[in-house]
Amino acid sequence: MIVAGVAVAGGLGAVLRYLVDHLVQRHVGSDAPLGILVVNLSGSLVLGVLVGSAAHQGVSPAWLTVAGTGLIGAYTTFSTFTFDTVRLAEDGQWKVAAATVVTSLALGVGAAAAGLALGSLT
Amino acid sequence: MAGDRSADSPSIPEPVVRVAAIAAGGSLGTLARYGVERAIAPSELGFPWSTFTVNVVGSFVLGMVVTLVVERWPPTRFVRPFAAIGFCGGFTTFSTMMVEADQLGRHGRAGTAAVYLVASLIAGVAAAALGMAAARGRLLPRPGAPSLPDPDDIGPLAGASGRRRHPGRAR
Repeated sequence: MIVAGVAVAGGLGAVLRYLVDHLVQRHVGSDAPLGILVVNLSGSLVLGVLVGSAAHQGVSPAWLTVAGTGLIGAYTTFSTFTFDTVRLAEDGQWKVAAATVVTSLALGVGAAAAGLALGSLT
Repeated sequence: MAGDRSADSPSIPEPVVRVAAIAAGGSLGTLARYGVERAIAPSELGFPWSTFTVNVVGSFVLGMVVTLVVERWPPTRFVRPFAAIGFCGGFTTFSTMMVEADQLGRHGRAGTAAVYLVASLIAGVAAAALGMAAARGRLLPRPGAPSLPDPDDIGPLAGASGRRRHPGRAR
């Protein structure tokens, strides 16, 4: 059952990522991968909340696996992030590449920490 | 010939098929990641090897697939939604890495957390570059070759299909 839940949630997460990325990227009209940045930061925040509330309120491990590993794990992505970094560097856009990397990692850890704190509150 | 209805069936709009391809690839990629996580037993507050492994392997595969699709293979419509956005996107994960790093830091393992983040970044970027090089058979793009596009940008969701930031390709 858990495996089926992870599969369905993973499919949903991937589609959600595509839609959010598409929406953001269309509105900013920039070469900087802001869509994936928004996806990864929002996903880190939500996963933090899930893990934080699971630790404090006894959320079932099955639910955490489906929502955390399945939905949010698939919603966020690392491969597009590394690909974009190489792509920007190949195009000579070193500053954009470096800024994306630093912003993603620094704000990503911050978002996860904020989510964990939020999840632990309730 | 009989039986080529499926190729250009007007009954299912392309964006729907594209989203279905992303969902199918995403399901498979997520299951594969779940399998790796279960196979590599998590060590409490140790180096998160399972996430590190999927992220580096996924970066290599994405680099190779997108480069093959853009620079090597004849135009295809559903390889990128299925294999790149769906499978590789679902296989790799950013949020898990962030939460793991935060948890390590919280439990007095800030050093491990920093090593984890930097190692993932360096190995992931190197893997993506190697995947591209493997697809090209060379380390650098051919001079004058079109730039690689955003891997997740496969054109507008509604309306006519097309690759926006890819002016180098004549249909």
